[in-house]
Amino acid sequence: MLSRNIRYACRRYSHAVTFRTTESSPTQQTDNQFGLFYTVNKDLCKQLYGHGGLPKSYMKQSKTFAETAIMVRRPALDIINCIKATDLNKPAIRYVLYGEDGTGKSMTIAHLLHYAFEEGYLIVHVPWVSDWLRRVLRHKEMANSLTREGLVDLPLDAAAWLLHFKTQNQHLLKSPEFIVSKEYVWSKREKTEAGAPLHELVELGIARVKYACDVVDAIVNEVKLLSNSKKCKTFVAVDGYNGFFNPLTRLKTPTKKKVAPEEVTLTTSILELTKNDWTNAVMVLSADSIANPDDDTKNYLPQHLLYRKGFDHLDPFVPVKVDRYTDREFLTCANYYRDRLWIRGPLDMETELKLTSACNPFKFMEQCAPL
Amino acid sequence: MSLFIKHYRPGSIFKKQILWRLNSSVAENHESEEEFRVLDILKKRDKQQKRVARRIDVPADRAEKMSTDQNWGNVWPGPRSFHPSTVPLPIRQGFVPKGQVPPGKKANAELMKIPNFLHLTPPVIKTQCEAIKKFCTEWPKLLNSEEAIEKHYPVEVITSDYCHASPTIRNPLARVVTLRVKLSTLNLDKHAKDKLLRLVGDHYDEKTDLITLTADRCPMRRQNLDYVNYLLTACYHEAWTVEDWEKEKMEADMEYYDWNNNQSKKNLVNWYHKCINKDIALSEDEYKSFDTSVIDHGEEYKLAVSSLFNDGEREETINNYDTAVRKLLGLPERKPIE
Repeated sequence: MLSRNIRYACRRYSHAVTFRTTESSPTQQTDNQFGLFYTVNKDLCKQLYGHGGLPKSYMKQSKTFAETAIMVRRPALDIINCIKATDLNKPAIRYVLYGEDGTGKSMTIAHLLHYAFEEGYLIVHVPWVSDWLRRVLRHKEMANSLTREGLVDLPLDAAAWLLHFKTQNQHLLKSPEFIVSKEYVWSKREKTEAGAPLHELVELGIARVKYACDVVDAIVNEVKLLSNSKKCKTFVAVDGYNGFFNPLTRLKTPTKKKVAPEEVTLTTSILELTKNDWTNAVMVLSADSIANPDDDTKNYLPQHLLYRKGFDHLDPFVPVKVDRYTDREFLTCANYYRDRLWIRGPLDMETELKLTSACNPFKFMEQCAPL
Repeated sequence: MSLFIKHYRPGSIFKKQILWRLNSSVAENHESEEEFRVLDILKKRDKQQKRVARRIDVPADRAEKMSTDQNWGNVWPGPRSFHPSTVPLPIRQGFVPKGQVPPGKKANAELMKIPNFLHLTPPVIKTQCEAIKKFCTEWPKLLNSEEAIEKHYPVEVITSDYCHASPTIRNPLARVVTLRVKLSTLNLDKHAKDKLLRLVGDHYDEKTDLITLTADRCPMRRQNLDYVNYLLTACYHEAWTVEDWEKEKMEADMEYYDWNNNQSKKNLVNWYHKCINKDIALSEDEYKSFDTSVIDHGEEYKLAVSSLFNDGEREETINNYDTAVRKLLGLPERKPIE
């Protein structure tokens, strides 16, 4: 029994290359950890990515591996480095992640969310814009906005997002500094007084779904004011941001009129949030060709995906390319999979997989799954 | 068997044998006694008489009789397909079987198929040029270089003449007239140039800077030439006129990205004012005339955005933009991927 275990251990670590780092705090990660995996604490994982934030296939894999290990990659390190060098009193800086499909834009955002959490940022995170604008369930809840003429509310999506916001920032929202600046009147009997804690506003949005979209809008304004008055610093992350600039959404009003993205109240709120007219904030957005499915040119460059409208809205932004695995990253990833006994067999297999997946992280993950 | 016995009479077979021998007695006289004569059923003649070929006196090939100092222009005066005995050259052409040489010139279809220029040898050309020289005028001395020609005669008209031996001397292709002119030689201002380019569309070649107008709609060359000239004149003058509706040209109609008129500049100016904590609202014209050299790295940023739109979005222009933005915002440089 012992000898078998030893043999097993020997085989497992015979081609041991370090693929893991014990530095589990993104704030401390430097170039030394480049290309290595670090594990995210389970509770934290639930808090940060519980309501979305990690790609579905990756979630499945991390469940199989019984851990959430994220690779420290160049774009994340680059942005962390930039954030550290930023003067937060200046207008917020927008970073736009771009890259081919499956290279890890969403994973970079997930990594950066962890960083923002460790640094004590207030997190405003939209897991996937197309969930709002393109995913049409059989009973997608839609209503005409009561407060803003001609716009459409997505109350359930807004409430779900509020819950996500609440979970991600539960520790911060408790602090007494987070108060509402002005009075919001929702109806004859319901109103939020000026000076009420912010989490009360969030709770109201979750409980009274009818007002969820207006609550989101209020929260956006409050967050901007709080950041401007240096009570908190804010980290905005939006995945699939270019979805806001598509010509049309898949939503239809009861009169079968197709809805444009700018006619949705949530869009206007998030677009308001991503302007650079406030301080004490960092914004990481991603331009993803999957969020733009009508376009089949395979062009993943940001200006193409954002259209002129989006470019004019974001400019000046810092484009950050998320590339395929480098040789080193590929090797550590393959070793990690071997460690998880996810791939077995001769070492030549890695060269072959490298060729067939073309070092694309998602393809590599996909091809390893049945092995 | 019973039949045989019935008709059998002794001596009858013997008699018949004698008879047959009597019949064949003639052959036996000529040939040797040992062999039987063979019955020749098809009556084949054993030997046909061969005709004796009459000898005809064939004169030697003309090619062999030619003298070496003859006037070749007289032998081969015009275009003609190859003829082996007229060309005194040891020419070979065609498929080469293994271990053999290419077929010779006689009875060689390969040589007859290809066009030849045996009528255009340098001495013949020389004499022909001498002959037509008296019809030519002298070349102007000042037009001694390509540049001078281009400067004094910017418009180039291209036509083709066809000459062939058929009942009619007309060729329909001779009517086609092409006119070429360099855009830079036309006297145009910014607006007129833009409008002219829009008018001529794909008749303008950006690489060579040439506008090419071709006409073949009229039956005669002269008419086509007139039409081409008319086209150029009309386009030129139309380019200079400014219509009322042209004032409605929007930013989206611009043929190139002018950073000063775009949102990008407003964004930059707004960002700058935010940075220095100045809260002022500028009008459209103030935005346009704002001097960006006040802003650190503003000019670089301007160039990067302009190139991103004017040169098209590529990995290279994006990186360029990235560098400019990082300098503008004061962020550390991007690290190269290992």
